[in-house]
Amino acid sequence: MARLIVMGGGVSGHTAATFAKKWLGNDHEVVVVTPNSQWNWIPSNIWVGVGQMTKEDVVFPLAPVYKKAGIDYRQAKAVSIHPEGDKESEKAYITIEYTSKEKAGQTETLSYDYLINATGPKLNFDATPGLGDGKGQMGEHTVSVCTADHAVHANLELAQVFERAKKGERQKILVGTGHGMCTCQGAAFEYIFNIEHEAKKAGVRDMLDIKWISNESFLGDFGMGGLHMKVGGYAVSSKIFAESLFAERDVPWLIGAHVNKVEEGKAHYELLDGTTGVEEFDFAMLIPPFAGVGLTAYDKEGADITAKLFAPNGFMKVDAKYDAGAYENWKASDWPRTYQNPDYNNIFAAGIAFAPPHLISKPATSVNGTPINPTPPRTGMPAGIIGKAVAHSVCDMIQNGAENTHLHEASMAEMGAACVASAGKGVFDGTAAAMTVYPVVPDYEKYPGTGRDTDYTFGEIGLAGHWIKHILHHMFIYKAKLKPGWTLIPE
Amino acid sequence: MKQEEINFAKHEQFTLTMIPGAFAKKMRTCLIFQAFRFAVINIKMLVVVSKSH
Repeated sequence: MARLIVMGGGVSGHTAATFAKKWLGNDHEVVVVTPNSQWNWIPSNIWVGVGQMTKEDVVFPLAPVYKKAGIDYRQAKAVSIHPEGDKESEKAYITIEYTSKEKAGQTETLSYDYLINATGPKLNFDATPGLGDGKGQMGEHTVSVCTADHAVHANLELAQVFERAKKGERQKILVGTGHGMCTCQGAAFEYIFNIEHEAKKAGVRDMLDIKWISNESFLGDFGMGGLHMKVGGYAVSSKIFAESLFAERDVPWLIGAHVNKVEEGKAHYELLDGTTGVEEFDFAMLIPPFAGVGLTAYDKEGADITAKLFAPNGFMKVDAKYDAGAYENWKASDWPRTYQNPDYNNIFAAGIAFAPPHLISKPATSVNGTPINPTPPRTGMPAGIIGKAVAHSVCDMIQNGAENTHLHEASMAEMGAACVASAGKGVFDGTAAAMTVYPVVPDYEKYPGTGRDTDYTFGEIGLAGHWIKHILHHMFIYKAKLKPGWTLIPE
Repeated sequence: MKQEEINFAKHEQFTLTMIPGAFAKKMRTCLIFQAFRFAVINIKMLVVVSKSH
């Protein structure tokens, strides 16, 4: 009997674990190690952040679902990986520390035959002084929509802003990225326009100055270098449509910005041209940069081999080309296909946890040498597809032997993504930008000019997009709960 | 006065963008039109999803 451990129970890890258990049945073990007791449909957190959903709408407890599936669930954070075992045994293992109430702080070792690292991001608030509290958590000057609890808090703060606005106090709202190397501009985009939409409904829009700040070199970059879509017979850059929406909704923007310090009511920043400035705010949502969760690794002798398995940003190395060099040399083939660690063939990384070879967007640094450019997003669809492909590879290796297995592939340069960015919630008055991009990582050799196949890359904004986003909310929670027919819902 | 064109003057950044006119904005929440677009967008998304799996 083989044991697969999946570290992480988010979109990628949960997908990997549930499919692996389905394919392996009771012949082999699947263990999920995650510090969270609940699964969170993260795309709907922005609606919690504006009071249009509750926390209970976007989370559900994991234990009953894993029990139903026959998955061994450990509410714990993974701490270290020992891929060669130790002096006493050659069996590979991980060490974990429980986070559940009953066993908080207890440590344990879990041996494995196969390991999937799907630990997602560390929300690295402390990368920007004042954005974090200095102890790894969000600071008190800004809000966040990265987790359901953060979003609940954000809504409470936003409600106070609206109250002050109703009393005639003009309020400044700042939304965007809180560091020059952030990703997830899409989430900030959704949040700013949902705030604007709710403000109009509440009758306080004219008392709010709403402004965007981000590390993008142009609006509509979204960490993917933007995209080109066909509209009205033209191939159009996402920059045009993004700027259009900002202008339409009266939201000015400050881009190419590295927020380098946050104080009460102030965000300090540096721009690409080296100039610095301060944006004042009454309410700010600034996405933190991401890093790996901080796993360490040790060899058989106990020597630290963390740098062997992980890139400096803490994400796990896989079959990507990490020595691609300058932007001019980047190719679609730099991106990983199997997500297998090059040194240990029984370790894989899926979702946000794998180390990308480089950015997708064109790199930029300020005249002072400060990197100010979006890092690559791994949104829900690619994360789920990668998790499933990795699970499939591991199952084949378990059932057929590693040497007989052709690993499954899921390169982001050969897959598309469907994204829906909400611009306001409402069954009859909501809108969202529904987009597809194919492929996610541009391939300029295959698609000269745009890097994408414009026959399959499109976007439009409207009520239909909002209906789709709301349906996807219900659909993916249904799927994650492993309800009847869950495997029929594509990632 | 064309309400939808007022924003061009509100900020220097907005002058050089495009802003939807009243009809284009109305169509965004026109139930019949959006029901049609719902079907079209879903088909397009399913095609991309199937190419990706």
